[in-house]
Amino acid sequence: MMTDSRSRLDAVRARIAHWPFSTVLVANRGEIAVRILRTVQALGLKGAVVYHAADRNTPAVHMADAAIEITGPTPVAAYLDGAQIIAAAHACKAGAIHPGYGFLSENGDFCAAVEAAGIRFVGPTPAQIELMGDKVRARNFVAQAGFPVAPSAIEDDDPNTFVERARRLGAPLLIKPSAGGGGKGMRIVRDLALLEAEIARARSEGQRYFGDGRLYVERYVERPRHIEVQVLGDGQGNVVHVFERECSVQRRFQKIVEESPSPALTAAQRRDICETAAGIARAIGYRNAGTVEFIFGQNGEFYFLEMNTRLQVEHPVTEAITGLDLVLEQLCVAAGEPLPYRQSDLHTRGHAIEFRLYAEDPARGYTPTTGPVLVWQPAQGEGIRMDAGIVQGGEVTANFDPMLAKLIVHGTDRANAIAKADRALRETVLLGCKTNIAFLRRLIAHPAFVAGDVHTGFLDAHPEIAAEPPLAADTLERLLAVASLSTRPMRDLADAIPDMHAAMGGWRN
Amino acid sequence: MHHAFQIADREINVALSRARTGYRLHLGERIVPVDLRTGADGRAWLTLGDAHIEVVVATRGDDVFVHLDGEAHHLRYRHPLDRLAAAAAGHAEDQIRAPMPGSIVSVAVAPGDAVTQGQVLLVMESMKMETTITAPRDGVIATVNYQPGQTFDRDALLLSLEPMETCA
Repeated sequence: MMTDSRSRLDAVRARIAHWPFSTVLVANRGEIAVRILRTVQALGLKGAVVYHAADRNTPAVHMADAAIEITGPTPVAAYLDGAQIIAAAHACKAGAIHPGYGFLSENGDFCAAVEAAGIRFVGPTPAQIELMGDKVRARNFVAQAGFPVAPSAIEDDDPNTFVERARRLGAPLLIKPSAGGGGKGMRIVRDLALLEAEIARARSEGQRYFGDGRLYVERYVERPRHIEVQVLGDGQGNVVHVFERECSVQRRFQKIVEESPSPALTAAQRRDICETAAGIARAIGYRNAGTVEFIFGQNGEFYFLEMNTRLQVEHPVTEAITGLDLVLEQLCVAAGEPLPYRQSDLHTRGHAIEFRLYAEDPARGYTPTTGPVLVWQPAQGEGIRMDAGIVQGGEVTANFDPMLAKLIVHGTDRANAIAKADRALRETVLLGCKTNIAFLRRLIAHPAFVAGDVHTGFLDAHPEIAAEPPLAADTLERLLAVASLSTRPMRDLADAIPDMHAAMGGWRN
Repeated sequence: MHHAFQIADREINVALSRARTGYRLHLGERIVPVDLRTGADGRAWLTLGDAHIEVVVATRGDDVFVHLDGEAHHLRYRHPLDRLAAAAAGHAEDQIRAPMPGSIVSVAVAPGDAVTQGQVLLVMESMKMETTITAPRDGVIATVNYQPGQTFDRDALLLSLEPMETCA
């Protein structure tokens, strides 16, 4: 099927009276909390959310059927406090908890505690989280199952020889925390003389972010593409892949633009990488939506990178081209329903691209920015979706990740999608806080992006995309005119002083 | 009376005067007739010479944000007195400010500590990475304004040094 999302939703809604839960608590914030609540409420279930006081004026809190405040030494700590979240679930009689992404979504102990409390976890089993959450165990599992992994040195195999074994792999190397993910604590080493110093720094970061300083080192694939495959499993023996997403445009190992289909893959390569992902998910009897990430080399070789056992930020790309509602599919699996379709039932239509709108200044090293959201007017239109976690009148603070919203465009083909994206980025108005929107427009106008010829180091290799171009003289004049006329002291002063020219009614240019 | 705006690290002098209808913008030698009519939700129409241009405008304090031709811009009004004060002060080298928003991981010094150039003063975290802040010169710590775990915005004053005893 080019899945008919409306009829699938209606069919599921007709069954929810028999589901083991009627209220779903979203243990997350921002745009993803809104996204999950939308499907929960469309199904006729009740949607509850936990929130820290810093998030009181956010869209998720406004739209939830129930909102329960949680506290913590920092706002982030509140969302990491599993005991408080489970207590909140009991308080609102939620029979299921959806963790979203980040925070507790890949925490095996939390998942186990939720299930022990008699609540369904909208995600995989604790054992699956733990296997895939330990990058070293995951890698070994995948290798033993016969799937490709990159050459590497693993500290745990023998800590005493770790540095030596890493050195033997040869530069360039990539150091990663064993417990890591999302690019945190990763470091590229091109000069082996710096290996030990970089290992020490990576260990310190791993210790702080994950409470675990163990590392491993991989051969770094030069100019790699990041290609990942969406999978769905019901934990009852059925697994399908839902095609690939290419996420090669990154800064600091974090994705900025994601698209599907990947412009890099031939039909045979697409089949190969997608079937590999489904095979890995099948090998662990996977339950839930998940993503198998691969490094894809310039010669077409690919290696398993990691598996994310949760909904991804970029899942709407897959939803656009397949018509599936991945949150709906997650909820069905959590309710115990088997997948109702086979691989051959799934097809794609057109091309979709997602852009992450960040509060950051690309010209200053992509450093985060903060400020009030004075005006927020997201683009609208056919084939344009904006998943946002901000409201006009809100405030962007340094408390959380700087992602503000995601723009997803769906076009008939890649060129059409890019044209739609440019229009949508132009029409999106966000005033009060510096964003990367103008940068995104420069990016999609770049010949290499237009040609689909990008790799994960693309932005580092093209710093001119991040640099702010000088203002045209007429633009500057217009801005100064608007600013002068909008600035009270200037306008008051002009109004207070009778002008000889005004009296005469003349002006010169 | 001249005013100024800061935009993209430049400071530009500008003046505004009243015309029979609307205003005149004075930019150096150039004088242009301008007017601005505002509608709902920040929408506004700028008249500049013969051109009519739709913009979205928002202000907060001295900050003016303008969405023009598909792009957002930020200008900051500079009060004439502040500009005088800034020109007279010039102790920026004593102030150690945050290069980006973030939170404090650890602080290695306390007020009264003597430090040497390059010495680690504190470790901050931003963008999921650690950044080390070091002493820009030899000196003595005057204030430490943040404790571990606290968050701050860009340009926040993290620490300050005692002023140099002899002014160069």
